[in-house]
Amino acid sequence: MSLIIDSISKRFGEVQALADVSLEIKPGEVFGLLGANGAGKTTAMRIVLDILRPDSGSVTWNGRPNTEVPRDTWGYLPEERGLYAKMRVLDQLVFFARLHGVPSREAARDARDWLERFRIPQYADRRAEELSKGNQQKIQFIAAILHDPEVLLMDEPFSGLDPINAAMLKEAFLEMRDRDKTLVFSTHQMEQVQELCQSIAILDRGRVVVGGSVRDVRRSSGRQVVRLAVAGDPEIPWLAGLDGVRIRRRGMDYVEAAVDGAYDPELVLRAALQRGCKVLHFEITDPSLEEIFIEHVGQIDTSERTLAPRSAYA
Amino acid sequence: MKGWRSLFPNAWYIAVREFRGRIGSRSFAVGTVLLAAIAFAATQVPVLIDFTIGTSQTRMAVVVRADGLPTDARAMLEGQLNGSAVSDPKAHQAFALSWLQAGDMAGAQQDLEQGKLDALLIIDRDPVSHNLAFTLRTDLAADGQTVRSIDTAATWLALEDGLARAGTSVAAVARTPFTVLPVSSSAGGTNSISQEVSANVLSTGLIVLIFMAIITYGTWVAMSVAEEKGSRVMELMLNATTPLQMLAGKVIGNGAAGLTQYGIILAAVVGGLLAQGPIHELVLGSSGSGAPFGGLNPTVLGAFVVLFALGFLLYSLLYAALGSLVSRQEDVQSATSPLMVLIMLGYFMSIFGLQAIDETWVKVASFVPFFSPYLMLARVSMGGVAPWEFGLAVVLMLISIVVALVVAARIYGAGVLLYGQRVGLRQILKAARVSR
Repeated sequence: MSLIIDSISKRFGEVQALADVSLEIKPGEVFGLLGANGAGKTTAMRIVLDILRPDSGSVTWNGRPNTEVPRDTWGYLPEERGLYAKMRVLDQLVFFARLHGVPSREAARDARDWLERFRIPQYADRRAEELSKGNQQKIQFIAAILHDPEVLLMDEPFSGLDPINAAMLKEAFLEMRDRDKTLVFSTHQMEQVQELCQSIAILDRGRVVVGGSVRDVRRSSGRQVVRLAVAGDPEIPWLAGLDGVRIRRRGMDYVEAAVDGAYDPELVLRAALQRGCKVLHFEITDPSLEEIFIEHVGQIDTSERTLAPRSAYA
Repeated sequence: MKGWRSLFPNAWYIAVREFRGRIGSRSFAVGTVLLAAIAFAATQVPVLIDFTIGTSQTRMAVVVRADGLPTDARAMLEGQLNGSAVSDPKAHQAFALSWLQAGDMAGAQQDLEQGKLDALLIIDRDPVSHNLAFTLRTDLAADGQTVRSIDTAATWLALEDGLARAGTSVAAVARTPFTVLPVSSSAGGTNSISQEVSANVLSTGLIVLIFMAIITYGTWVAMSVAEEKGSRVMELMLNATTPLQMLAGKVIGNGAAGLTQYGIILAAVVGGLLAQGPIHELVLGSSGSGAPFGGLNPTVLGAFVVLFALGFLLYSLLYAALGSLVSRQEDVQSATSPLMVLIMLGYFMSIFGLQAIDETWVKVASFVPFFSPYLMLARVSMGGVAPWEFGLAVVLMLISIVVALVVAARIYGAGVLLYGQRVGLRQILKAARVSR
C-alpha cells in the first residue's frame, strides 16, 4: 500500500531521461526527489501523473495502476508555474477545483479559506497577472490542494520564494503531512530536505544513485564527520596527520573533518586529549545530505552556484 | 482516453471558461461592435448611392420646333430619362421636364441664362432628310452622365419618329421572339437564367461566410491553445483533465463565442437590410428596390447551418492540434499555414466549381470532408442534389470529425509538452504515439 514506481524508463530522442528507476513512497510520508537540473525529476513526476507514458515499467498507487487511479488522487504543482493571466484568482481556483469534481460552492468556500490562511484574501477578485510572483505561487499551491488529493507532487515548490513566503509554504506543507497526505517534492535545496523529508532518492542522469530514509542515506557512505574545537589553536594542524582523517573545513568555531568508515571517530578526541589540548567542542555526526549528494552526483550542484571561469575571449 | 463518458462535465467547464474569457475580452467587444457597424453600414450603401444620385435633379426645358412628332413623344422622352421612376410619383425623378412650343424660346433662353434651367433641348426637323435634329444648350459636361442620358433619349425619340413615318414602331420591330431552351433536362435543373444568376450570387455569399468564419474562429482556437501553453498553465490543466476534454472544451467554447459574434454581425446585416426600406423612405421619400433575399430557401439555409457547424468543428480541431505545437502566439500564424492552404484550396475550388457545377470533379470533391462545407453547399444552392448525396457528405464529415478528434487529441497531448522547439511532423507522430 504505497506509491510504487517500478523500473520505469523513458527516452526522448537521444536523451535517456529515466533509466530503470524504481522508488517506493509510503503513504503519509514526505519524500524528497533530489537531483541536478536534467536529472529526470520532472519526467518522473509527469509519468506518475500519467501526463507522460513511460517506455517501460509501471506506476501503482495502493496496488492500482496509475492509469486507472482517479485523477483527483493527485495534486500537482508544476515547476513551470502558470495561471490564466486575465482570470480572477477566485474564479481560477474554483475552475481548477471543479475540473477535479469539487462542487463550485464548496470550492469557493475552501478557496477563500486558503487565501485567508495565506494572508492574501484581498486578492480573491484580482486578475492573476496583477499578483507578485510569490503570491502567484501561493495561488498555484492552493490550486494543487483544493480538491483534497491523497498524493501531492510538487516540482521545486520553494524555488523563487523569499524566506518569509518559503516559511509559510513550509507550514502548509507540514499541515498537509499532518492530514496524512503523501508528499513528494523535488528540490536541490538540501536544508529543506533534511528538515522535511523522511525519505529521499537522489537522481543523476536518469538513474537512482541512492535512496531510502534520510538517516540511511546519510550513513550510506560509511564515513562520519567530527567537529573539533580546542582552546588557543583555531587551525589544529596536527588533525590532518591522523590516519583516515581528512580536513573538510576550517571554520571560525571549529574544524570539521571526515573520518573513514574503518576508523573510530573517537580516536580524534583521544588524540586531542593526549596532546594536552583543552577541548571546547567535540561532535560526531553523519555527513550532510549535501556531501552525499556531491559525492554521488559530482560537482554539478556547486557548479550551479559558482560562476564558470572567465573564458579566453573575455 | 476513457471514452465519451469522461468527456463531460470537464469539457463543459472548459468550454464555459473559454467562452466567458473570450466574450469578456476587450478585443471581442471592440471587434464585434466594429464589425457589426461595418456590416450595417454596408447594407445602407444602396441608400447612399440613391441619395447622392437622387438629390440632384436636372431641370430641362424642351422646345419643340419640329412638326409631326409622335403624339407620345413627351412621355417617351420622360420615360427614357427617368427610367422606371416615371410611373411612381413618390420616386425620385432625375429630370424635371418642361415641354414648350417654339414661341416660348426666348423665355426659356432667359431662364437658362439666369440659372433657372440646367439645360435647354431644341428639337428641329431637318428639311432635307426629315429626320429629327437636336440641339442641347447647357453648361453640363459634354461627355458627362447627364448629357449622355439626354443623347440616348434623343436617339430613341428620333428612331421612334423615323419608324412612325415608315408606318411601324419600336414596339412592333423589337418584339422578336427570343426563347431559351436547356440542352438537357437532367439534373432537375429547370432554372431560368436569372434564377441561376441569383443562386450563384447567393451561394458565393454563403461560401464566403463559411470561409471567413472557419479562418477567424479557427485561429481563435489555435491562439487560445498557444496562450495556455505559453503561460504554462497547461501543466496544471494536464493534471486536471485529459487532452480530449481540453480539446473539446476549447472548440466548443471558442466556437460558441465565434457564433455569438457571427450572430450579432448577421443580425446587423439582416436588420440593415430590413431597415433599408424605411431609411430609404426617410431620407429620400421613397422606398428602394427591396431587400435582396431572393433565392434563399429553407433547403439552402438548412444545408448552410449543417455544413457550417460541421466544417467549423472539423477545422477547429485541426487548428487546436496545430496550435499545440507552438509555445508563443506569434508562431500560430506560421504553424497553421498548412490549414490555410487547405481552406483556400476548398474555397477556390468552390468558386470555380460554381461555374462548372455539373462537372465530375466538383461532385467528387463535394464528398471530401475538407471541401464539403464549400462544394456541397455550392451544389445544394445551385439545385439538383439528391438527399442521399447530402446525407453521405454529412456522414463522411461526422466520421472525419471523430477521427480528427482522436488524432488531434494525440497530437495535442504530445504537443503541449514540447516547449521551445520547432516541431516537425516526424516528432509529432513520434510523440503522439507515446502520449496518453
